[in-house]
Amino acid sequence: MSEKKARSHKAEKVIERLGQKLSRQIAGSMVACVHCGMCTESCHYVLANPGDPTYAPAYKADKIRKLFKRHYDWTGRFFPWWVKAGSVYTDADLEELKDTVFGKCTNCRRCSLNCPMGVDLASFNRMARGLLVSVGVMPEGVAVVSKDQWEIGNQMGVLKEDYLETLEWMAEELQDELDDPQADIPVDKTDCEVVYSINPREVKYDPRSISDAAKIFHFAGENWTMPSEGWDMTNFGLFSGDDDLGGAVARRLYEKVSELRGKKLVISECGHGYRSTRCEGPNWAKQDVPFEMESSVLTMLRYVKEGRIKVDKTRNTTSVTFHDSCNNARSCGLTEEPRELLNLVCTDFREMTPNRAENYCCTGGGGAMSMSEYTPRRLKSGKVKADQLKATGAKVVVTSCHNCVDGLADVIRHYKLDMEVTQLVNLVANALVIPEKAAPSAEEKVAQEKVAALESAKPVALPLADLKFVVADDEPDQLAFLSTVFEDYGATVVTATNGDETLETVRREKPDLLTLDLEMPGLNVGDVFETLRKDPELEDLKVCIITGRPELRKLIYDRSVRVPEGYLDKPVTEETLLLTVRKILGIHEHET
Amino acid sequence: MQPSKFLYFCEHGLQEIALGIMALVYTTRIIWFLGFKAGGERQAPTGSGDADTRKGILYSWANIVMPWAMESTRRKPFFYAQFVIFHLGVTAAIGLSFLIPYGHYLSDSREELQEGLLGGTAMVWFLQAIIGAAFVVAVVRIVRRVSDPYIRAISSPDDYFSLVLLTVWFLSAVLAAPNQFAEGEGYLLAFFILTAFFLIYVPFSKISHYLYYPFTRYYLGKSLGYRGVFPILRR
Ligand code: SF4
Ligand code: SF4
Repeated sequence: MSEKKARSHKAEKVIERLGQKLSRQIAGSMVACVHCGMCTESCHYVLANPGDPTYAPAYKADKIRKLFKRHYDWTGRFFPWWVKAGSVYTDADLEELKDTVFGKCTNCRRCSLNCPMGVDLASFNRMARGLLVSVGVMPEGVAVVSKDQWEIGNQMGVLKEDYLETLEWMAEELQDELDDPQADIPVDKTDCEVVYSINPREVKYDPRSISDAAKIFHFAGENWTMPSEGWDMTNFGLFSGDDDLGGAVARRLYEKVSELRGKKLVISECGHGYRSTRCEGPNWAKQDVPFEMESSVLTMLRYVKEGRIKVDKTRNTTSVTFHDSCNNARSCGLTEEPRELLNLVCTDFREMTPNRAENYCCTGGGGAMSMSEYTPRRLKSGKVKADQLKATGAKVVVTSCHNCVDGLADVIRHYKLDMEVTQLVNLVANALVIPEKAAPSAEEKVAQEKVAALESAKPVALPLADLKFVVADDEPDQLAFLSTVFEDYGATVVTATNGDETLETVRREKPDLLTLDLEMPGLNVGDVFETLRKDPELEDLKVCIITGRPELRKLIYDRSVRVPEGYLDKPVTEETLLLTVRKILGIHEHET
Repeated sequence: MQPSKFLYFCEHGLQEIALGIMALVYTTRIIWFLGFKAGGERQAPTGSGDADTRKGILYSWANIVMPWAMESTRRKPFFYAQFVIFHLGVTAAIGLSFLIPYGHYLSDSREELQEGLLGGTAMVWFLQAIIGAAFVVAVVRIVRRVSDPYIRAISSPDDYFSLVLLTVWFLSAVLAAPNQFAEGEGYLLAFFILTAFFLIYVPFSKISHYLYYPFTRYYLGKSLGYRGVFPILRR
């Protein structure tokens, strides 16, 4: 039957490209659904929205399936109404589809494992995302992140110099901490056993995980390196459904490892990064990878088992539970090693229910963290995760995924759970038994005692002394916490509680650092930031965003002015706060 | 006594024509389906060292008889039991559609068969019990499809029609099972005409899912077995 209705150019392209995307697996999932509804309750969106069938996996699947039926299936072609076949005609139809495939599904694959027919909705939801992305229909965040990954080479737009500077900084921190100049973060070293790739989030928001990993490699005596380029093991192609992007990103990484003649690519803890690099990458890039690839979880576990590092689990006595990332557990079978490692480095590990491949999504999967327009929906669906977390009674949730760290942190904040999120690398680093240095000779001992006596005679210099900070936040607790920490370390603190006051205070005080909350009454915080950045008198002003609403980041980062020097998610610990502030201001640990 | 010519045609010729059409359409469907290129995996296997594609495929296929394997079946034993009864009913009714016309090959004559396999004996009761139970389940399923907002939202006319068709077919099978054509051919005619319609309609409807089932579960099992996800570990 010929299509009578006119189609927009984009809709035309979507239909045209659908045919090119259909593999036998996808076609099978299109034809096999019997509308039994068995998958319904496996979806966290359904559980958090009782009575709303539009969140049911099969309902969402049918929004995509109807296209297949209308254009490829016999019955659907001739009697579309009989099997609910349909097409897309206008850009508004595509927008509606976008709302479903990006805004109502995190591609977590939980329903796929609960379908008796083997219908893999997550896979064809990804395909539908890819179709929409190919015609430019996608949430703004997806467009921004994809662009960064295409153009800058990593999904957070981290510039090469910032990346290298961070590595250098973390190496210096490590050397200071261990008092060992050999503790280094080598870059672009050739012929190493291990090439370590990371998530750009680590550079931007969590550099501690880089130094923790470096510490572990150092004590394991590993011959390792980090690449100066092609270091981002995450891949937004997995989320956007764009196989070309997926292939390009994976290729970049593989080529760099080959260029360095690395023997093994170790992927830091990240569910989607692991899945993309380790599993899907070679398929998207259409190339075989000539070296081994493994998750850093396996690497760390091996070091412990082989005795290359020694750990003392009594250093981690707080109760912990483990959250399985969907990509690790449901698409890569990485469920047992993290548990084995956890039991080696923690004293009180409590299983979450359900767990492993049956675990619920952190709510941040499928790139949901970058789609701020769906945040309320995402947080609502987080009720399932919050209940699951609460039931464990644990104080810390461990996860091997940076995306989950953000997703879980958001859920914890939103549902006011008394919990923290961390990763295995942090726990392993904390449990590391640092080998004692050889005892000093008698003369060395005397010399050391003299130096110590001289040092103790000096007045103690506080690391932030002589610095002035403006702390802008409308939450009294937060304001008090930040001010107290900074003042305890010697800084002079002036506070502001709304946009107008912030602008005025910063202009008046000309501080060394402004910590800026993104959600305050008064003048729009984005405008405040832009105005300050454009003020020639405030050229040296350093800004650190501290927010509980990561989705508001674009308020700042989308502006054509210099980006903030630092960013922190609330709740923030004293240690992270100081680390970040020292990094921004260039103050080394030994100076503190 | 012999059945009427029309009943004989409905039991034999009509079924053979319908089966022929079904076979033809199914063959074409399979060829069409296999025309889609299967995606492969280039990477080394993942999982905890014992990833096995074959094990994954077998696990995936066997999933249907392991209600404990999936949360969706584990949490709804009653629903799973319905599924089993419904499909046993389908199998029994299909069996009946062969047993009535061709069963006499198992015995010396049609009459003997009536006395033997289907002559008000345990076999008839057995078939009637299974198909009758499936009929009840089918009615429950209709009610569920109409009343449950989640199921209603995903249901198409084909879903309703297929279910109603099967329900009526089950009923006709229960009534036809005694094969008492001498006392009236109505039930038998209804059963065989419905069976023929069913055979022709099935390849165009959602009932053809069983044709795809081995494929979808094969590919899911292949991929997830290779990746060490299947068999799912629960501790
Ligand atoms: S996707 Fe599977 S479980 Fe869900 S309605 Fe379809 S056949 Fe049933
Ligand atoms: S993939 Fe996950 S989020 Fe998407 S419909 Fe299935 S269960 Fe829900």
